[in-house]
Amino acid sequence: MTATQWFTRALSALVALALFLGSLLVIVEIVLAAAGRGPWLIRYPDWTAWIRQRSWNDEVVKAILVGLVVVGLLLVFLAVRRGRPATLPLRGRTPGVDVTASRKSVERSLAAAVSRTSGITGADASVRRRSARIEARAASRSSSGLRQEVEAAARARLDSLGLRRDLRTRVRVSAGDRR
Amino acid sequence: MRTRADTANRIVLFLLGLLLVAAGGLGLALSLGAFGDSRATSPVLPENVRTFPAKETWFWWALAGVALLIALLALMWLIAQLRTNRVSRLDLTTDVREGYTTLLAGAVTQAVEDEVGGMPGVTGASARIHDHRRQKLSLRVGMTDTTDIDELRTQLENGVVAHVREAVGDPELPVDIELRPDVRRTPARTVR
Repeated sequence: MTATQWFTRALSALVALALFLGSLLVIVEIVLAAAGRGPWLIRYPDWTAWIRQRSWNDEVVKAILVGLVVVGLLLVFLAVRRGRPATLPLRGRTPGVDVTASRKSVERSLAAAVSRTSGITGADASVRRRSARIEARAASRSSSGLRQEVEAAARARLDSLGLRRDLRTRVRVSAGDRR
Repeated sequence: MRTRADTANRIVLFLLGLLLVAAGGLGLALSLGAFGDSRATSPVLPENVRTFPAKETWFWWALAGVALLIALLALMWLIAQLRTNRVSRLDLTTDVREGYTTLLAGAVTQAVEDEVGGMPGVTGASARIHDHRRQKLSLRVGMTDTTDIDELRTQLENGVVAHVREAVGDPELPVDIELRPDVRRTPARTVR
């Protein structure tokens, strides 16, 4: 699971718990009020008195409404955001068998393959749904043709994985070791 | 891998978000005078709305009913977060008159892990059987970065998958395999 999926799941559990407990509380308060008892946990007479004194153009009401819109937009953004994939599908061979490779391991594998290129001291790779970005660090400034070699190493590694969707490679070679 | 709970989470969060944006946006439009200045200065809780529940006794019971419905839906949503659909036993009974046959899922997954773990280039394996509409085997395979993926896939798909399908008596058992090239466990190369 990706970090986004973990966050969405934790948030969903919290919202579900809040809705569940809040709804039960409302039911309890209604039953208590019907039995002629006072409020238990929700001080609704105070809330009613407070809201009766407010008009729509009160600053505090506007602030609450802005808060609602912001929280709503955050939830919508979280729901529609696709994020980076946790796994990348590989080409199918056997009916009923789906084979994938984890994105993080593909990134590490790409970085390792590129790092083996002569003249490269280290590399980082970042994979998205349609592309792979490789940032390689060269040992020296004389790097004519090095970019092509790095790209060829990355392509060879991607080809050996047999991904279902071909990834576009974007390579950047920087001179000098940053370490 | 996206599960049914993840899809449900996205749908519910999207609908809740949309509801909040609509309610907040409408209220903001009202408070900023989009529906006239008189509306903007009117109380949030008008007298007729405030006294309505006192006159109509059914209102509170209807509200309790809605709250109960929300509580039940929220409970289902909460349980969906915790459900793993993991299977502990596989029913292989073909004819109940001859008795029941069950197979421990742990025995199957252990056998799969042992078989995969013994393959060259494999650094670790974990297997689970889920039941979501139909039973499915999920297999995670850690491998060295230099392993020939093509060969490993052939061994997994022609060997392990065929064996497990035979063991559970389902020649079409769906299988998900996740390959995890593990650079950290790949033997280092030294070039002189």
